[in-house]
Amino acid sequence: MINHYLALMKREFWEHRSIWVTPVAIASVVTLGTLAALMFAGEFAQELDLAIFGAQNIAGDTERKGVLTAYFLGSSWLFLLGLGILTVFYSLDSLYAERKDKSILFWRSLPVTDAETVISKLLTAVLLIPAIAIGAIIVTHLVNLVVTSIWVAMKGGSAATLIWGSVPLFDNWLATVVVVYSVAIWMSPFLGWFLFVSAYTKRAPLLMAFLPLVLVPLVEGIFFRSGNFAEAVWGRSAKIPLFASIDIERFFDENHARVSDEMVSLLAHLDFVQFISHIDTWIGLVVCGLLTTAAIYVRRYRDES
Amino acid sequence: MTSLVNARGVSKHYGAVRAVDDVSFEIEQGRILGLIGPNGAGKTTLLKAVLGLTDCEGQLSVLGLDPFRQRKELLRNICFIADVAVLPRWIRVTQLLEFVEAVHPNFSRKRAETFLQQTSVRSDAKVRELSKGMVTQLHLSIIMAIDAKLLVLDEPTLGLDIIFRKEFYSNLLNDYFDEQRTILITTHQVEEIENLLTDIMFINDGRILLDASMDSLGDDYVELLTSGDNALKAKGLGPIAEHEIFGKSVLLFEGVSRENLEGLGELRTPSVADLFVAKVKGARQ
Repeated sequence: MINHYLALMKREFWEHRSIWVTPVAIASVVTLGTLAALMFAGEFAQELDLAIFGAQNIAGDTERKGVLTAYFLGSSWLFLLGLGILTVFYSLDSLYAERKDKSILFWRSLPVTDAETVISKLLTAVLLIPAIAIGAIIVTHLVNLVVTSIWVAMKGGSAATLIWGSVPLFDNWLATVVVVYSVAIWMSPFLGWFLFVSAYTKRAPLLMAFLPLVLVPLVEGIFFRSGNFAEAVWGRSAKIPLFASIDIERFFDENHARVSDEMVSLLAHLDFVQFISHIDTWIGLVVCGLLTTAAIYVRRYRDES
Repeated sequence: MTSLVNARGVSKHYGAVRAVDDVSFEIEQGRILGLIGPNGAGKTTLLKAVLGLTDCEGQLSVLGLDPFRQRKELLRNICFIADVAVLPRWIRVTQLLEFVEAVHPNFSRKRAETFLQQTSVRSDAKVRELSKGMVTQLHLSIIMAIDAKLLVLDEPTLGLDIIFRKEFYSNLLNDYFDEQRTILITTHQVEEIENLLTDIMFINDGRILLDASMDSLGDDYVELLTSGDNALKAKGLGPIAEHEIFGKSVLLFEGVSRENLEGLGELRTPSVADLFVAKVKGARQ
């Protein structure tokens, strides 16, 4: 059973090269961006010496953590954005491509159920693609830390103090895992919808997936003077109940001479318990389950000849 | 003899169209059955029902299983190549073998690789890089490496040149078929397979016109090549079909003994193609 799923997910990895090409491309962009920034910074030799001196002697460990976390956060968001776009295109293509290239009858000639096939595609979108993205984020962080360490050492700074002694790797990476998988779970009803459209539509899956998401709110607004569907669909992406209440103003409060460790910890800003116990999270999972079942049903009962 | 496929009153309707209409038949183990019919006769629909790809009315049992509801169990012991079952173009040969090995309990990768070594299919090639003939060889290598009880072939050599077609059937007979295995095959190129078949079934407009063993065809059907007065006498015996060739009459008889026809002309067993044309024309009249 598990072997079947592993084989099916491996097949997805082989078929959809974008699953690994996208993270590698983003990692390359981030690394090149870091290199360009470091080369650009080299133009300001005096200011740089001063900054390194200040970071080593005046700033505390927490401030250094804050700066490194801010850098991590910037690159991780780029990955999250890429991950979102990749997952939309992957899930829309996953059940459509096998019908388009007419290989579906070959796949269906093997002792694999339609449920196993469709669920493996959902698992690829929810588990495998995020896992590869998280791996790429971690490798990118490490590569960029090494590059920056070499640069700091060349400028006469101490990489051991400035970077490796302060970098909150565990905090950042664990927070990355929590955010990436929480977003995947939160957006799972969309993935279920995309899988259903991918299994059902005869052409233009992207258009067929997004047209109802635009037209239904319009119709509801015109005829019922309400916006419930739009709120449930489009509002969902903006209100993920994952983040703890953050007092943003504290970051800019001049009375606080130094930021606290809690303020620069990404994990401290996440409230996973609130997320996993929120009713909307579970409603989303149920909707995802129903739409995935519909996709299985369509693949099972549609006459492909 | 063990009956592998047992159909009783099987029908399949698409709206008002009866693709398969109240069909009953059996396929026994160790046989090679040719399912012959014109386009739209219901062959593919019947095969799809046997393979569990479509639901149908009536009673249909394949290897003792309900094909539609127990498809996964069924596909462990049944293989098929359909003209529309295209191998995915993006996959590499090694990936394909690895995948089938992972999901199919009765697949021997070693055996498939041995078959492939006899072809010009490179193991690191992608399917899109192979010719149509090579893709069929690859597909057949996979199928022959599966220890299945029933092999279903739906126009397996469509679009292949004569050399590949001959090789395909030769491999099938020499390397695959044995008394434990059963093959159900449909094709338009009847002449190429009639020597392989042990049984034959004609289907037209969703109904079975003929279901017989190849051995019995010579007893039940006879073709007479005759002319002149003998032709007139022979026509009185009620041929099911007749046509002229080089000024002679060719008459096809069903259930008329050879003794009654001897002396009226040259007797021979009709080809499957001639018999098929006669049966279909007869059914339409």
